[in-house]
Amino acid sequence: MSSSRDKILATVKGNQPEQRALPELPVAAGAAAPGAAGTDHSGAFISMLESIGGSAYLVSGYERIATILREQYPRVGRIISGCPELAVIAETGERYADPHVLEDVGLAVLRAHFGVAENGACWITEDRMIERALPFIAQHLALVIRCQDIVVDMHAAYEWIEKYVPAASGEGGADSYGFATFIAGPSKTADIEQSLVLGAHGPRSLIVFLIDEGLSDAGFY
Amino acid sequence: MKGKDHAALADEFNKDEPRVNWHDETLWWVRQKRDKAAHKVPEWEELREMASRIKDNVLSNLSEYLQQFEAAATANGITIHWAADAAEHNAIVLSILRRHEVDKMVKSKSMLTEECHLNEFLLAQGIDVVDTDLGERVVQLAGEPPSHIVLPCIHKKKEEIGEIFHEHLGTPKGNADPQFLTHAARLHLREKFLTRRVALTGVNFAVAETGEFVVCTNEGNADMGAHLADVHIASMGIEKIIPLRKHLGVFLRLLTRSATGQPITTYSSHFKKPRPGQEMHVVFVDNGRSTHLGRTDFRSSLKCIRCAACFNTCPVYRRSGGHSYHTAVAGPIGSILAPNLDREKYADLPFASTLCGSCSNVCPVKIDIHEQLYKWRQVIVQGGTAPFAKKAAMKTMNWVLSNPSVYHGAGKAGRWFMLNAPFTVNNGLNPWYKQRDMPGVPKESFGEWYKKNKK
Repeated sequence: MSSSRDKILATVKGNQPEQRALPELPVAAGAAAPGAAGTDHSGAFISMLESIGGSAYLVSGYERIATILREQYPRVGRIISGCPELAVIAETGERYADPHVLEDVGLAVLRAHFGVAENGACWITEDRMIERALPFIAQHLALVIRCQDIVVDMHAAYEWIEKYVPAASGEGGADSYGFATFIAGPSKTADIEQSLVLGAHGPRSLIVFLIDEGLSDAGFY
Repeated sequence: MKGKDHAALADEFNKDEPRVNWHDETLWWVRQKRDKAAHKVPEWEELREMASRIKDNVLSNLSEYLQQFEAAATANGITIHWAADAAEHNAIVLSILRRHEVDKMVKSKSMLTEECHLNEFLLAQGIDVVDTDLGERVVQLAGEPPSHIVLPCIHKKKEEIGEIFHEHLGTPKGNADPQFLTHAARLHLREKFLTRRVALTGVNFAVAETGEFVVCTNEGNADMGAHLADVHIASMGIEKIIPLRKHLGVFLRLLTRSATGQPITTYSSHFKKPRPGQEMHVVFVDNGRSTHLGRTDFRSSLKCIRCAACFNTCPVYRRSGGHSYHTAVAGPIGSILAPNLDREKYADLPFASTLCGSCSNVCPVKIDIHEQLYKWRQVIVQGGTAPFAKKAAMKTMNWVLSNPSVYHGAGKAGRWFMLNAPFTVNNGLNPWYKQRDMPGVPKESFGEWYKKNKK
């Protein structure tokens, strides 16, 4: 094994072209600190998310989220959430020794870190997934972010990950996950004659809740 | 070369004209979606330039980046393996399966394992492999290789898929509804995800800086496999390395827009450490890549990120189908990669192009694909591996064009035959006549006209 390693590295080294410098990347515009006031990208995020098969709700808080989920998924069965505020409708705060016990989860509700306006994706690290398998094995998925935590594009997204996503240990961002993913809409496929079908192997629907604490619930009921 | 060449295989595909038209239009539609997505990004051309330059830097520092990734990933608890060729890759995968006493595995999309013929190898060793990407599962059940690297069963009509599912998954005969068939596959594959202890995935990008690798899917099949398995094996060509995590911002913006016109895949999963109790392996595969790196004219094909934009835009690919390329990666990019592996076997592929240059124009990392196709033709003809008919035709052409009297005589004779005995050219022996009529015949050549009219 190590002989192949040495052989490959030696051939690569011998055949490498002359040094070419890395380009400068664009300075991420609008990668403000979490929660900081800046350009509001929520409108762009919502329309992009809807165009890729997801849906979005602007809400005042978790009480409103629970109400919407009860209405949207009246017979969804088992619900698991990483948000302690949703204990009224979901199993919260548990760890599972074996991910296979999540097979029958109807709905998972998890907090993500931020959204990306240009593609409708949300970034979520494993400490917020309960189990790595959960955001994929659940029949339906809801993600929760703060309305102001939306970046304009992927350059800003990686800057955010670098600077602001806290490590599990609470230290800086460099080691903030063993597994993390961008999730953009429900799982989908178009492998049969290019006909788009939502719900390939993962969740069949995706809702993103955007919490705006300044919002009043008055008009909703 | 053994077996049928591209032209002969394309002939077979072309027998069913309505299907060819459908295939052509479907892929052109995907190409148009790519255009729409690209045009929505004002800085698109700058992104392509950046991606191209990052990949140039990767090629010039590849041995260092590989070692950097190895060190970082090892520190993260990932085991790194090095495979000089396909056989060594397959043996490594088998040894991991054997060590865990496992004879069943799920696999998400990996063109590298197609290149290595992993499935056939494992099957011969008594290992059952289930491809979990829907399109790949369809072709696997049909006993065929994928015909497209992003859309593996793009050559199949939904009625044929309905038939395959009826036979293998027990769906009702005659049901060809994509929604219904996808749901049937979801149930069928969920059982596989839940019962397999080993999952193999491909790798889209591996970050030297952090030792993490990124896998992109729309279906979620790579994640379903990896997170439910005790062992995750990720196979990657050594050229998949990128230097810094922030470079993902560039590549993830380009990849899916170029591939299907989506702004990003549903899942862009970053694997950095195994979950507690899990084993994670990365297999670096060379299989000719390190040699290819030394070929000045051709090395930039190693920059490819496998988006398949060049397939969808190629007039030859769209009308000849992926199987006519008889290699794991078809299309224009496959036609410049394959001769590197086996120049004789794939001597026909650089000729499967009109050299129109559309492939180079859509390539997100700016590979000069059509120029390399042209250069491969010269290497192949000089090396003596060009097809016999092509060599004979070139020799005749050379004789005609270098003798003015022969040239004029041949032109006259050609016009006479087409006018007075059209059956001598409008027949199956004339490849030009296939799928098109010969043009109308002018009464005189330009030379004759010029002689008459010059003062």
